[in-house]
Amino acid sequence: MGYYDIDDILADGTRFPCRFNYDVPGLGYLEGNPGRPISKNAKLELPLWMVHLLAVVGAQSNEDSRVEEPLPFVELLPPDLFAPRVLNAIKSGATSLDLHSISPHFYTLAEKWATLFSDKELSQVLKDMLLERGQEINNHAISVSMFSNCNQTNDSAVFLQTLDEFEKTIYRDTNVNCKEMKKWLVLK
Amino acid sequence: MALPRDLSIGFSPQEIQFLIENEPTRIMPRITTRKTKKQLAKDPGAQWSLITCDDSTVNNMVAMNSCEVTLWLALLLKQQGKCNVVVPSWLTLQQLEKYLDFELKNPSRFSNLPWNWLVVSSLLFARCSDDFQDPVHLLRSKVQDLREVRLGKVNKGLQYLNESHLQLENLSLMEINEMRPYACGIMDKLRTIHDSSNDTT
Repeated sequence: MGYYDIDDILADGTRFPCRFNYDVPGLGYLEGNPGRPISKNAKLELPLWMVHLLAVVGAQSNEDSRVEEPLPFVELLPPDLFAPRVLNAIKSGATSLDLHSISPHFYTLAEKWATLFSDKELSQVLKDMLLERGQEINNHAISVSMFSNCNQTNDSAVFLQTLDEFEKTIYRDTNVNCKEMKKWLVLK
Repeated sequence: MALPRDLSIGFSPQEIQFLIENEPTRIMPRITTRKTKKQLAKDPGAQWSLITCDDSTVNNMVAMNSCEVTLWLALLLKQQGKCNVVVPSWLTLQQLEKYLDFELKNPSRFSNLPWNWLVVSSLLFARCSDDFQDPVHLLRSKVQDLREVRLGKVNKGLQYLNESHLQLENLSLMEINEMRPYACGIMDKLRTIHDSSNDTT
């Protein structure tokens, strides 16, 4: 999670659906309509780093300036990523889930989403999933023989394909450490 | 950093071995390095001494009088046939049997083996197998059993990780280091997830 962390940058570039609460002049290029204003209630997908700010910062609109709380520029719509369908799939069997196909940066995104909405349920689901999948990752990582990847079974290769980027780093670290340990034990 | 990733997140087994080799070990020297006044008076050239940081024991060894030196020095002297290592008291068949018994009877606890048992036992098995009272192959298999039982417990315990704490009672440095990348990575993530929805600011 550094400034130069490429996965962090990629995760921030993921697009989320949102709806504009204002007419904004000159922003039409966002929906492929350059030079024109963007209309109120227009639905489009914007990268997370942008909606993250736009959904929090508001402006004083002309029509209802009486409203105390300024309405944010955009309103985030529930994304497919955290649809009940996905959460139920996670709850029913986290280890068999192809997380990479849902999103390669699922954990980072879910974490940011939970921060935005203080979503306790999502973070609980996330924690349970992390522990359950972590077990599986650990088992795969420590059962690999010390002679590199040549003995990797088809089974574990398929499993690795389903990992999210964060889980991959965990797998890699655990695996390297385990290999070092085995090497040391043999050399003694 | 320019350090390889696996070195920046933990120790390598070699580094841990290096740390543990600094532990004091009891040996029976076969050489005498202590010099009497008479000797020195007779031959001033005999005033040589081994250069070490802490030379009090090294330069005061008397043959067949036990003394304590660091493990690496003990192994070096052993290699040159200048001493016998006094095997630590926990490294006997009887004692290991007790530890193993404890491990099997308490599925959720670890026996209080020394913090460096894995490294010390494997070093001693490899370098001074003739100093043991018990047959080394039996000791070796007992240590292997212990390791496997404990490894199983560690892996079982990993599914109960949480974001705030982890109990590591009686685990040796090597065993902790073995689980470090996994436990640290998962716990760190659990913590950030936990913080994300419980924003206190």
